[in-house]
Amino acid sequence: MRKTLDRKLSRRKFLGTTAASGAALAATGTGLSRVSFAAADTIKIGFLAPFTGPVAAWGKPGYDGCLIWADWVNAKGGVKIGGKSHKIEFVGYDNEYDAGKARTGATKLIKEDGVKFIMMLGGDTWPGVEKIAAREGMLFSTLLPSDLSPDTKTLVAPCEVHPIYNVTGVEWLAENKKNLKTAAICAQDDALGKPSVATYLAAFEAAGIKMVDAPLFFDPATTDFAPVMTKLLAKKPDILCLDTCYADYVHPLCEQAFQQGYKGQIISCTADFYQKIVEKTSKDFMEGFVFQFPDFDDPALNAKEVNFVKPNEFYTEYAKRFGAKEWSAVSWEYASIMDLWADAAAKAGSAEPGPVLKAMKAGGTGKHAFGDAKWWGKELFGIDNALVGNWPVVVIEGGKAKIKAFKSIPAWWDKHSKLMIKHMTALGQMWNQR
Amino acid sequence: MPEPADAASAGSPARRAAPRIVGQVAGRLRFVALFAVLAVLPYLLSYSQQEIAVLLVINVLLVSSYRLLTLTGEWSLGHVVIMGVGAYASALLAKRLGVPVPLSMLIGACMAAGTAAILSFPLFRMKGFYFLIGSFAAGEIIRLIWKRFTDPFGGPKGLKRIDAVPDIETGFLSIDFYEPVNYYFLALAVVSVSLFVLYRIERSRIGLTFHAIHWQDRLAESVGVDTFRYRTLAFVIASFFAGIAGGLYAHYVGAVNPTRFGVDQMVYVLVWAIVGGTATFHGPILGVVVLTVINEIVLRGLGLDTARPLIYGAILILSVLYLPDGLESLGPRLRAWLRRRRREPAAAAGGEGGEAA
Repeated sequence: MRKTLDRKLSRRKFLGTTAASGAALAATGTGLSRVSFAAADTIKIGFLAPFTGPVAAWGKPGYDGCLIWADWVNAKGGVKIGGKSHKIEFVGYDNEYDAGKARTGATKLIKEDGVKFIMMLGGDTWPGVEKIAAREGMLFSTLLPSDLSPDTKTLVAPCEVHPIYNVTGVEWLAENKKNLKTAAICAQDDALGKPSVATYLAAFEAAGIKMVDAPLFFDPATTDFAPVMTKLLAKKPDILCLDTCYADYVHPLCEQAFQQGYKGQIISCTADFYQKIVEKTSKDFMEGFVFQFPDFDDPALNAKEVNFVKPNEFYTEYAKRFGAKEWSAVSWEYASIMDLWADAAAKAGSAEPGPVLKAMKAGGTGKHAFGDAKWWGKELFGIDNALVGNWPVVVIEGGKAKIKAFKSIPAWWDKHSKLMIKHMTALGQMWNQR
Repeated sequence: MPEPADAASAGSPARRAAPRIVGQVAGRLRFVALFAVLAVLPYLLSYSQQEIAVLLVINVLLVSSYRLLTLTGEWSLGHVVIMGVGAYASALLAKRLGVPVPLSMLIGACMAAGTAAILSFPLFRMKGFYFLIGSFAAGEIIRLIWKRFTDPFGGPKGLKRIDAVPDIETGFLSIDFYEPVNYYFLALAVVSVSLFVLYRIERSRIGLTFHAIHWQDRLAESVGVDTFRYRTLAFVIASFFAGIAGGLYAHYVGAVNPTRFGVDQMVYVLVWAIVGGTATFHGPILGVVVLTVINEIVLRGLGLDTARPLIYGAILILSVLYLPDGLESLGPRLRAWLRRRRREPAAAAGGEGGEAA
């Protein structure tokens, strides 16, 4: 009897503890918070991206950045549209990078939450949403312009024209490190890796850098990167290109390169949470690592051409709230899209998707985070819905990311567009091949 | 003491059959009530919850078909990939060859069953843990084929803009299957028929043989049961219905890719089956319904999106610890507890009466 009672008590205690933990999680803001205002003066913006799962690093940090953006804008009274100030409220939905859940999330955001604009990571999730966007006329944004096609009239890529900006890193390397003559490249075999490989191949060819081997595509389920790195380094390339690998791959690939004694140049699209790579390898090893996403405490972002509002303060606030090591490639991107949206809504005098899109694309130019840019993409995506201009080249120096230059993507395109189309076609990445 | 006439009537076939007839009527009434609830349900849900309901109905078929395979005692890690075979086949037939969607779903399911039939030759040379790992490897090979061959499978990006189920347009009736409520009823009809067939199979001689193979495969072999054939049969039937689920998914969402049918999704199916329990037909259905409602409606409603994997894991651990026989064991446990409660006062009253006497 005593034994039974003890058992009951401990079970109850266990369940109670679990329930309390759940409640504590909710209370401490592990969930998606909503800042509410008077409904009439509030405009809701949807955030439909992965918050959990392997691609969460390109969703959740962006949502966190948007919360800072909203706090700042709302503290100033909100966005002025049609002579009236409106507060901004973000409504998040974790699509788990799944097309079916993205469809559910999009319908919830549009039909139940009444959002006026939805930001997405895109990629695998866009096909689940495409039909809803067309039917509802809702304005969507993506970070992956490979989602664009002539049919996607209400989808824009106003910030990250992935992977085209990768040409700027290669161009900078060719101009500043003329001794680098050969390269090897690897990427995960997926929708993100392939167009990026095509871009790097075009950029290397334009820069006169030869590939030592065919691109090495590894399975996204790969966990052991030792053989991948061994194969990459076998022909002793001057440049090791890590393409657009997810953070879960960039980190072990760098560790493997370090352990296998590689001392040459590394270039990568991203280096999310690079401080952790420095900790796992060394400052010397990471010295000169070239990538495309700056820390926003960089003084170079205070240049008057840069349109992102108070970048250094934004970074400081982000680091204060979430930790500097949590800063990722997307921490600022969705917030910068919101700058563009707010500007367009103010110009349109309306938050409705149609007028905002029209105002956003008026004159064929727009204020991109890194400077004035033009709406472009007809040749590559079949529609001019990608905002393209300058993009920073970032180099790790002394364990810290520093912007070395802003380089023009349209200028590169004007000279080498045929190369890009050739490599994109070879890998089946043109819009009419997808 | 009963009169002789009464005793005769109590033992008559009519009297003996009465409780059985009452039981059957009660069972059918329960079914009618269940269908009434399912018919009204979408109208009580929000638009996005209707979307969730559609995916839930499809997952009910997936997990129920998985249970049929487990009847023979084998747990596969390739069932979701087999669902993907149905989805890819149906999508390609409709998209590339213009096959009408309902027919493409059926052919897709047959192809899933055919794939299972081919895989059964190497896989059923293994048993238990080895079968589990073998099925995982087979599934990964299929997924790699989808990734490697961009033509026709679309490579890592998969297939998109898959033809939807055609709308029904007549003079007096217009049904748009893009609307989740309409697709819910279509999926519900298909899944109900499928579940009925699965149920009848389980209750048939074949189903009993599946059970026999699970518990005493050597004994079954000794009395002439070809265990390989019966295991293959269970695998093929389960795969056919998983293929139907795949077709329903592909033509609703409009996109499929290799990641959607990966091991992560398979883990969900296992969790649904384990939490629900696999001893009864309704166990896995209970598991998928309860966990989907918790995961997609309750936790999201509480704003716990990012904590969902953590809480999901906690639920799994708790259910294994405290409900090792699954949610399906809750009903019998509750009934047993109620019986005990009823008996205890009666026994106490009887004891007091005895003492008084």
